[in-house]
Amino acid sequence: MPFLRATNASCAAASIRARNVLFATGIAFAISTGGAAGQSSSTSDLAKQGQSLATATDCTACHTAPNGGQNFAGGYGISSPLGTIYSTNITPSKTFGIGNYSETDFARAIREGIRKDGTHLYPAMPYTSYAGLSDPDVAALYAYFMQGVPPVDVAPPKTSLPFPFNMRFSMAAWNALFLDNHRFQPDSSRSAQLNRGAYLVENLAHCDTCHTPRNFMMAEKQGRALSGGAVGSWYAPNITSDPVSGIGGWSQDELVQYLHTGNVPGKAQAAGPMAEAVEDSLQYLSNDDLQAIAAYLKASAPIRTAEAKPRNAYGIALAADSTLNNAAGDMSNGAQLYSGNCASCHQATGAGTKDGAYPQLFQNTATGAAQPTNLIAAILFGINRTVGANTAFMPAFGQGFSPVSTLSDQDVADVSNYVLQHFGNPNLTVTAQDVATVRQGGPPSALAKLGNLALPGLIALGAVLLLLILWGIFRPRHRPLPG
Amino acid sequence: MSDQLSADIVVIGSGICGLLTAQRLATQGASILVLEAGPRRERGDIVNSYRNGAYKGSWMNPYPPTAWAPHPRFQPHDNGYLVQTGPAPYPAEYIRMVGGTTWHWAAQAWRVLPNDMQIKTLYGVGRDWPINYDELEPFYYEAEVKIGVSGAPNTGSPRNKPFPMEPVAEVWAMRRFRERLAVGGYDVVSNTTARNSRPYDNRPACCGNNNCQPICPIAAQFDGGVAVEMAEAAGVKIMANCVVYQIEHDAQGRIAAVHYYDPDKNSYRVTGKTFILAANGIESPKLLLLSASDKYPNGLANSSGTVGRNLMDHPSNSLTFDVDEDFWLGRGPQSPTSINTFRDGAFRSEHAAFRLDFTNINQSRPVAEDLIKAGVYGPELQTRLRYGAARQVNVKNVLEVLPNPENRVTLSSQKDALGIPKPQVYYSFDDYTNKGMDASRLEYTHIAQLMGGTNLRYSPERAYANNQHITGTMSMGNDPGDSVVDKFGRTHDHENLFIVSTGVMPTAATCNSTLTALALAMRTAQHMHETT
Repeated sequence: MPFLRATNASCAAASIRARNVLFATGIAFAISTGGAAGQSSSTSDLAKQGQSLATATDCTACHTAPNGGQNFAGGYGISSPLGTIYSTNITPSKTFGIGNYSETDFARAIREGIRKDGTHLYPAMPYTSYAGLSDPDVAALYAYFMQGVPPVDVAPPKTSLPFPFNMRFSMAAWNALFLDNHRFQPDSSRSAQLNRGAYLVENLAHCDTCHTPRNFMMAEKQGRALSGGAVGSWYAPNITSDPVSGIGGWSQDELVQYLHTGNVPGKAQAAGPMAEAVEDSLQYLSNDDLQAIAAYLKASAPIRTAEAKPRNAYGIALAADSTLNNAAGDMSNGAQLYSGNCASCHQATGAGTKDGAYPQLFQNTATGAAQPTNLIAAILFGINRTVGANTAFMPAFGQGFSPVSTLSDQDVADVSNYVLQHFGNPNLTVTAQDVATVRQGGPPSALAKLGNLALPGLIALGAVLLLLILWGIFRPRHRPLPG
Repeated sequence: MSDQLSADIVVIGSGICGLLTAQRLATQGASILVLEAGPRRERGDIVNSYRNGAYKGSWMNPYPPTAWAPHPRFQPHDNGYLVQTGPAPYPAEYIRMVGGTTWHWAAQAWRVLPNDMQIKTLYGVGRDWPINYDELEPFYYEAEVKIGVSGAPNTGSPRNKPFPMEPVAEVWAMRRFRERLAVGGYDVVSNTTARNSRPYDNRPACCGNNNCQPICPIAAQFDGGVAVEMAEAAGVKIMANCVVYQIEHDAQGRIAAVHYYDPDKNSYRVTGKTFILAANGIESPKLLLLSASDKYPNGLANSSGTVGRNLMDHPSNSLTFDVDEDFWLGRGPQSPTSINTFRDGAFRSEHAAFRLDFTNINQSRPVAEDLIKAGVYGPELQTRLRYGAARQVNVKNVLEVLPNPENRVTLSSQKDALGIPKPQVYYSFDDYTNKGMDASRLEYTHIAQLMGGTNLRYSPERAYANNQHITGTMSMGNDPGDSVVDKFGRTHDHENLFIVSTGVMPTAATCNSTLTALALAMRTAQHMHETT
């Protein structure tokens, strides 16, 4: 899912959050929130259909620059260890957009990552997912972008990555290995709902883009579909049907509610990139589509990962607020930080508020995961999720991200450990270095490290690519349909 | 530490006025150093101090004074820092700390009325301001956007643009006041406050902790802590624990440097091109008086002799009573609602104008304290506590006092721990004030009747609470013979010394002074940007 949009956060926060997510991003074709912007009265039925599809693909995150950027005019700078990648102008501007694209050109761009001029897109654009889009859906999307979107004659900044990553032709080799350029094929042995769910999860809404782990070449790992992956500062959890590691213990209704609102009180709340996915895309999907996604996830192949218990199965409410009395001066730093910064909303007991406006911290997926990543990221960057008329807001506490209060990396570690010990997964320990890593956008990718070696690295990279290409030629081409 | 401390602009004091002036100027490219006498603390630390403190009713309790930068404290005992010499006390509760006194304000962010700025011309009392309302209006709006203000549109202060956000949801008790008092012709409206009704500027919406004073735990209301983060984000450098004790001028009368002590009384000199004094309405005149020299024997900026004079605040009396239905004050912000129809009128030639303010502070603590003091215990305590917590209400006034040169801040012969003279105040009330109090009392009684009030408890006659709105001590004016700064906040006597403070307000009007001081400060900053 797209997560690079700085909604109300500062640009700095967003770009730092987006670091290192270069190839893991789901940069899709953008549509404005609500899927209603910019549509002219003469828009055809096909274009209207395309608008709905563009809502599902959630293009707006990357192709509309945050803080007042014009719809789909691109220019959102994705800061990465390799350099800044700017999203492109996908309005029908004939000078700076895709106004001269034929439908064939358009289809090739979104399914194969190849522009009209023949150059390759970086797979920050999730064309590996869109490759499965049906011809009618691509036609509808094309109609929408040509007819329903006003042209914006503005050139986004040019992306120029340093050598060797500026050699876009190398993506041809990458594509030979990792692009399965086949349309989605319904499985006649499964229900229409499950087939629709598969199409949404794997192609249209491209859940896999974040939730499937990546190999060192930043391609989705075969056989590990939807079993969880790092996404910059955040972690997209295992959403396979595994009852311990995934969403096997969730009811169908809970999954639908989560996708529709980002909030299942007493269980999970969407933050970071998932909050943006709910905000910009999922809340507008039809109930049928959400039911299909939920059904497909419930029927997906279970994959057990590092979790010892379900993420929402840790912790209980503390009995009373007596634990926050420091009259004796013996409270730990973490407890004092919790008292001063968290307890006013989440309560000393950790139970939040009865109406769920401030969530409970125990039996909460953010505190019970096998990684503390999302807990740390929520504290550093806060939460800002608007669904319908409701906004869920938690202030940021990271330095430079918030006018409310500023905690050091050590303080964030201390309060995280207090929360984990009292309400979450007590087997985890957070260090200041962990916090710094999340603050800086997550652990660097192997590819980025390789790239940093520059020329010596290039030689190694070339050798690796060659080996991979050879391996790719001889390996089976079709990835199995999960579930 | 280096003795080369220097910046384009040196600001003395890190309250909301100093910091947001600094922020504005820093955004325009100036290098800015802010010197704060007190320590730096984080919000969570203050919340903990409140949570663990014994005196929950004291807004000063979470802000203990330091040895090197003491400030007044009156509970459990007067710490003797602010020396009182007049017939009336002036128990100012200000905070010397990074962020300043708005750490514990209630976020009331009012504009004055246009007529408030010319009461001498209109009513023959007080003094006129050197500017009119229209000149200040754009800066009011700038300040409102900066700190996130909402309010009722009909309180007599015209505006060119709507508030940046809607008021917070109406509190049940305040709705009942509004509905029942409308019968008597009272117009009860939402207060104008810097409190978020929705996420604004990366701060959350108010969730009704009912803890605005002494600390909003979530920064839903704007406060000094937010100003600190905003200023630093703009590149302003803030230095804590720097107790400025002297402003140094050169032979031409320009300010050359300021000198400060660290907590161990090591002295440092800080140079700059321009200086802004922003150390509140008591500490600022104290510093000007302390900086007397051979050339300026009465203190800096004091050729008029008015530095420290015309000390004002908003004295209050009040009525506490039991209403005839359950209100359960304490849900929502502490001070959400008021009556603004007594703020102006021909009567101002005879007695003080006032605003009426309804408290929404949870009554459990004050009721319990009163019952225990009265010896009530056992089941009766529980019953009566529950009744009082549900029914007890309070209405108070915020009343204008007139500038009186005899009410003033001077230097005491007593010294603080660093050997710096303590500030000393002389304060008194006149008949103009007392008659305004009497007029308020008639309204209290009428209000209590309309609310089915019983157990009416008027505050003692001729004894007034203080509201920490320190005004008048460095008044602005066109005549250098009777004012300290000009209409842009520049001192008449020192071309490169400006003052941003509630202290520059020539009169106090009937509303909390922070927003007006901030608007004046924005105007000063604009002028500095254009002329320095």
